[in-house]
Amino acid sequence: MCGIVGYAGRNAAAPVIIESLKKLEYRGYDSAGITVLGNGIETHKAVGKIVNLESEIPKNLGGTIGIGHTRWATHGRPSTVNAHPHNSGNPDKISLVHNGIIENYMALKERLTGEGYIFKSETDTEVVAHLLHKHMYGSPDGKTARCDLLAGLREALKEIEGSYALAILSADEQGKLVLARKDSPLVIGLGKGENFAASDVTAFLNYTRDVIFVDDYETAVLTPDSVKVFDKEGNLKEKKIEKIEWDFEAAEKAGYEHFMLKEIHEQVSAIHNTLAGKVSELEGAIYLKELNLSEDEIKKLSRVQILACGTSWHAGLLGKYLFEQLAGIHCDIDICSEYRYRNPVMNEGTLAIAITQSGETADTLAAVREIMSYNCPTLAITNVVGSTITREANSVLYTRAGPEIGVAATKTFSTQLICLYLLAVKFALVRGKLSPDYVKSFITELRKVPGEVQQILNQKELVKECAENFAHANSYFFLGRHLSYPIALEGALKLKEISYVHAEGFAAGELKHGPIALLDEGTPVVAIATKGQTYDKMLSNIKEVKARDAYVIAVANINDTEIAKYADVVLRVPQSDELLAPLLSVVVLQLLAYYTALARNCAIDKPRNLAKSVTVE
Amino acid sequence: MKAIILAAGEGLRCRPLTLTRSKVMLPVANRPILEHVISSLEKNGIKEIILVVGYEKERIMNYFEDGLNFGVNISYVEQKAQLGTAHAIEQAKKLISPEDSEFIVLNGDNLIEPKTIADLLNNYEGDASILTVRMEDTAGYGVVIKEKKRVTQILEKRPGGLSRFVNTGIYIFTPQVFETIEKTPISENGEYAITDTLQLMIDEGKMVTSVNTESKWLDAVHAWDLLKANAIVLNSPKNMKQEGELEEGVIIRGKVAIGKNTRIRSGTYIVGPVVIGENCDIGPNVVILPSTTIGDNVSIRSFTEIQNSIIMNDCRISSHGQISNSIIGSNNTLGPGFTAEEKENLEINLNSKIHKAPKLGAILGDDNRIGGRVLVKAGVMIAVNCQVESGNTIYRDLSRDSVVL
Repeated sequence: MCGIVGYAGRNAAAPVIIESLKKLEYRGYDSAGITVLGNGIETHKAVGKIVNLESEIPKNLGGTIGIGHTRWATHGRPSTVNAHPHNSGNPDKISLVHNGIIENYMALKERLTGEGYIFKSETDTEVVAHLLHKHMYGSPDGKTARCDLLAGLREALKEIEGSYALAILSADEQGKLVLARKDSPLVIGLGKGENFAASDVTAFLNYTRDVIFVDDYETAVLTPDSVKVFDKEGNLKEKKIEKIEWDFEAAEKAGYEHFMLKEIHEQVSAIHNTLAGKVSELEGAIYLKELNLSEDEIKKLSRVQILACGTSWHAGLLGKYLFEQLAGIHCDIDICSEYRYRNPVMNEGTLAIAITQSGETADTLAAVREIMSYNCPTLAITNVVGSTITREANSVLYTRAGPEIGVAATKTFSTQLICLYLLAVKFALVRGKLSPDYVKSFITELRKVPGEVQQILNQKELVKECAENFAHANSYFFLGRHLSYPIALEGALKLKEISYVHAEGFAAGELKHGPIALLDEGTPVVAIATKGQTYDKMLSNIKEVKARDAYVIAVANINDTEIAKYADVVLRVPQSDELLAPLLSVVVLQLLAYYTALARNCAIDKPRNLAKSVTVE
Repeated sequence: MKAIILAAGEGLRCRPLTLTRSKVMLPVANRPILEHVISSLEKNGIKEIILVVGYEKERIMNYFEDGLNFGVNISYVEQKAQLGTAHAIEQAKKLISPEDSEFIVLNGDNLIEPKTIADLLNNYEGDASILTVRMEDTAGYGVVIKEKKRVTQILEKRPGGLSRFVNTGIYIFTPQVFETIEKTPISENGEYAITDTLQLMIDEGKMVTSVNTESKWLDAVHAWDLLKANAIVLNSPKNMKQEGELEEGVIIRGKVAIGKNTRIRSGTYIVGPVVIGENCDIGPNVVILPSTTIGDNVSIRSFTEIQNSIIMNDCRISSHGQISNSIIGSNNTLGPGFTAEEKENLEINLNSKIHKAPKLGAILGDDNRIGGRVLVKAGVMIAVNCQVESGNTIYRDLSRDSVVL
């Protein structure tokens, strides 16, 4: 869950690296560090945000080759010694930054300690530095290299188990930067007289849009004027140069106080863009050209397996309801980190759908790779063009939400839902489960959604008022049934993530089976009670909750006159098709979480302990 | 040169359209009025733009973001309380540095063309310069009285006769103006007006000049003025691109622009100038007549006829509709057989004052749900989030959240 950057050019490296690290800050930010290659290796580190590091660095720090790192602790607590880069040698010969996890680091550490290497940090990364040093210089005090950095690295990597994106400098090899990747994202940016490397293209988008995606087991050497990529055996490899079209600048806050609020508002256009060109209202048709599945293959599917983590998992849970209810296909959903280790039963008639905003989620990628071995078709739903998952899955459906910077996912969640609605209805059409007439009116309703989301945003002051009234509650409960159940879970997750209030989402029918014991006087309970087949059941649940003196905040339709009799506060959403109501209620819950966090004075875009894309397991 | 655009006000007189967006975001030829202003600045090489926002600022920020897509660099400052034009300009003070020898100030809700700005840029002088237009009927506008170029007096809205030079609200100032703004007294209606600041400068003997322009300057005072502005802008020569898909049997006459992913179905007859946005589904057999603007994600079903109207985003218009000289806000659902009656020389009562509208159908705010065979009488305004059941005739204005059974 870290971000790495590298720079090889003719300008001072430090300012470029600092700027790039700031763009990566959303990946994690408990500490950061930088090494430049000047007169030998010079390393600076600091705990906290990148600005802290910036003030640590001497103004006149020379060196035109450098690496940098922003860390989110997995092994070892956040501290200066644990911050990257990690160095090895006496004096420092090797300096490197790492994103990923070295699984056999304990064994390696023991061995290297035995050989006289002294470990300063508690990190898994430091073993890579010492191991590399060992291969190049023979011993901790070795002064002359027996081989060059690239050759030494290739030897060292043979002994490493785990995932890594590495950027490495050697004091004895001026003017170059060496990279390696396995199971962690790494991209190279091509400039004029300067080249870049990073975990994510956003880091260097201000400098260049021409990029090379490094693949697993590849290594690369960057100098100001050249980029060479090698395969596992060390043969020079021809790589495709790709052009990044979107603008990072567009991701800047544009007047908003927080990215999250900006992104909540952007849902209107994000849904427009995701739907654009994919539906025809009059014909009741759905066009998914990206789907590499023939109608025949869709008809033959016996099962859908959805794989996701976090917010994407909530989208997937709704997807399960849709695939089963609309398309009549058996559907399972798993949390990726569980799926990988539970020996799942798979067969060829199963379509695996992986949902990941970043396309780099380590657990999701691993689960997809696992599934590939069963010869199942795979489909990815992601927001990031060119991300690792798009190169692994058979088909890719993009959420056209634009870059999402706020750590709490908002617009990517609603556009993931749009993709799932389109898929489920498409499958239902092909399999003859829904009549064309039904699909026609469904599409009419679907096209209303952006306007209805705007309608909710027009009334955000009411949500704000409600959030402020309950901002000091110690815990919050969210109840939903049927399609609103995943939304209850998502509403609770949003609140947890950014406002640090203890929040739980429950299927309302489960209340009596335990959770109701938690309710006491004044506990706010958000009940999603939009009109639908479970509306009456939801009303009885609300009465149960009221009987325990809890405070009920209902999310209900505009023209529902009944609900006000039971709920203390009613937050309204437009009357929509029952199937599409989750797309509207979730916007209310996102606003509720945002305004609660605002009232509690929390760091909304960068909540503590969280990172935007989870690229480690 | 930097530009400060005032975009914080609501535009009360353009209700109900401004209940959910500020006046600067009202669409003319499918672009917010503010975009026409920004693009005129950009064409004059003014790329550093400060937007003073307040009312419904999110709509503005979502649309313009950091300005990159419009070829400019936008910074936002917020005017939290609407305390007048001088107060609004003062909010931008921190973004104007002493090195800026002068800067231009404009209203975000007036339609202008690049030449309008060029006229001021080429002729300004003194400590402050005011752009004026000559009008025969100046009722409702502020005017300036001048001797040659030098302005001697500024008069706020009052019965005409004293001068025909209307103040456009477009000014060039030097940063010293902020000193005078600080000294500007509060006016009778509780605002700090930049016109009072200018009067103070004149009284202090500073050089305040004026430049007259004959280029375009339109102030859409009332909602219905938007139709006139729309017709004028649609008529001005512009590159009209036809993207999207036209089925066989679609007839297009004149200048018609059609956005990406929009589908026009067979038998549809369109007479330009007409602009249609992206992701629309129109037809079969729809008639769209001159000076009509249709937003994004709109569907229009068979046998509906639309003329000289503005339809905003996300609307669904059913079959057999008749809409002319009307403005339909976003996210409206109009049932089959919707008719907006039209009349000429209407007298419209706004806050107990009678205003004249030359020719008008209906005006609908956002988010209304209108059933089938509903007739809206000429000049009637329906606010936002109203529900009208089938078969009704709407004789008078509906306020927010009304239900007509």
